[in-house]
Amino acid sequence: MKYELVAGFETHVELATNTKIFCSCTTEFGGEPNTHCCPICIGLPGTLPKLNKRVVEYAIRAGLATNCEIAEISKMDRKNYCYPDLPKAYQISQYDKPLCEHGYIQLSNGRKIRILRIHIEEDAGKLVHRRGDTLVDYNRGGVPLIEIVTEPDFRSVDEAKEYVEKLQLIMRYIGVSDCRMQEGSMRCDVNISVRPEGSEKLGTRTEIKNMNSITFIAKAMEYEYGRQVDLIESGEKVVQETLRYDDVTNTTSSMRGKEDANDYRYFRDPDLVTINVPREMVEKIREELPELPEEKKTRYIEELGLPETDAALLTKYRKIAEYYEKASEGTKNPKTAANFIIGQIFRSVETESEKEDFDVNVSAEDLNELIKLLDNGKIRMNLAKSTLDKMLETGKKASELIDESDMGGLDENALAELCKQAVENNPKAVKDYLGGKEKAVKAMVGFVMKNSRGKADAALAEQKIIEIIKNNS
Amino acid sequence: MVTKEEIMKIAILSKLSVEDDEIDKLTEDMAEIISFADTINNAADVESDFDNINNLSNALREDETMPSLDRELILKNAKDSDDGCFMVKNIMK
Repeated sequence: MKYELVAGFETHVELATNTKIFCSCTTEFGGEPNTHCCPICIGLPGTLPKLNKRVVEYAIRAGLATNCEIAEISKMDRKNYCYPDLPKAYQISQYDKPLCEHGYIQLSNGRKIRILRIHIEEDAGKLVHRRGDTLVDYNRGGVPLIEIVTEPDFRSVDEAKEYVEKLQLIMRYIGVSDCRMQEGSMRCDVNISVRPEGSEKLGTRTEIKNMNSITFIAKAMEYEYGRQVDLIESGEKVVQETLRYDDVTNTTSSMRGKEDANDYRYFRDPDLVTINVPREMVEKIREELPELPEEKKTRYIEELGLPETDAALLTKYRKIAEYYEKASEGTKNPKTAANFIIGQIFRSVETESEKEDFDVNVSAEDLNELIKLLDNGKIRMNLAKSTLDKMLETGKKASELIDESDMGGLDENALAELCKQAVENNPKAVKDYLGGKEKAVKAMVGFVMKNSRGKADAALAEQKIIEIIKNNS
Repeated sequence: MVTKEEIMKIAILSKLSVEDDEIDKLTEDMAEIISFADTINNAADVESDFDNINNLSNALREDETMPSLDRELILKNAKDSDDGCFMVKNIMK
């Protein structure tokens, strides 16, 4: 029998605010343990949390960018569980009135992954298990998160991968998070079940917690799908449980302890007042949203005429798109900048984080200058290409690298003289041309280009050569 | 109706130890508390869910950092600490 995979995602995204969600401690990553803490975020009695305005704004931005409806009235709730990563023994989160609901992200196969909700909450502290003890660092405790929950709409591992990549890209574009999975600023929990193909009924699901790489998510899902199918085929039952994925052994194992008491006894946090979200605020945030990756890609293809693969490469990272737009500003053909970036500049960025930062040796302004020299006929393509390589090597501007004498091309007399020589030195090519082989003229153009060290305008030279041949014959 | 099993579950969640001879009394008390809460529920206006006593809303803070507290003070009341961290018994079994 064939089995269909059914999966849903819960993704935690750390918001790029300056301060924590309920106090003014910094959210900076790293730092000595427990040095980004105050009485509020370590939960001392008598303290009062106060909500960070920017957290609300960022969450709304994330909601709008994923086609959600934004609640008019929202509130904070306490999620109770006893574990040392929470100093208060509860996490302040949102239960029945999340800020955003009913959105979706569309995949390239046309399917929409429905987003059930996006809510705001505080992150927990970090635990380090050491011999008989557990050490607790609350620097991360109280860092603002949004949790993005989808419906169980995934039917394949590829869809899951595309969703995570898209979500990551959108969050980066709108500037609410850097979504660095390896640093934990984006983490995914995946709910997985299987069912016989064609069946409508959902199977028993398991949840794989806290994965921080797209590769691991894919591997864990594949493993878990296989495990569940094997269980069913051998007549056993899938047990609903929380699992941890081990990337060394590529297996999942049961995660007990924290999840034993999954009765969270949610109730409204009486320390935090109602959040009213005026419609004017939502509209203002909507207006200020930048162009989203998908829209940008479509515009590059439809308006700028870039091939789809180029448009995809240029929009995959926010900084690269920004770079491209600056480099191509005011140039004649939008493809020129795209070709230079993809063909030459991409060679200097290899890793994901290098692409993400796109801190290359040639500034967008310098590339723009080079393209304009080319556009104005001051230099030829060959020279432009070799100059760009030199620019990447040295970090110098095109105008510093190209000799004045190489610029401005050839004057008319010099070109005429070289064309005359080309004709005189290539009697065979002339004969071939006159015999109907039009391509033979290229050999003479080559002569002109070579002897002008690439400065001549090839099209002009061709015209001139044909003219001379016709006059001679 | 509150059952003895529910009382034991709540005790475990609340990290309370309950002796066998206390269960009956606690079950009775809990039933009374719940029926009292039901009375309040029946009287409550549904809309009041979002109200607080002063009808306040949107008490928001600007996103500006302030100095954190000295670590010494943070750890001052910890039962145990090491390497700048709070130290608790290993919770991994």
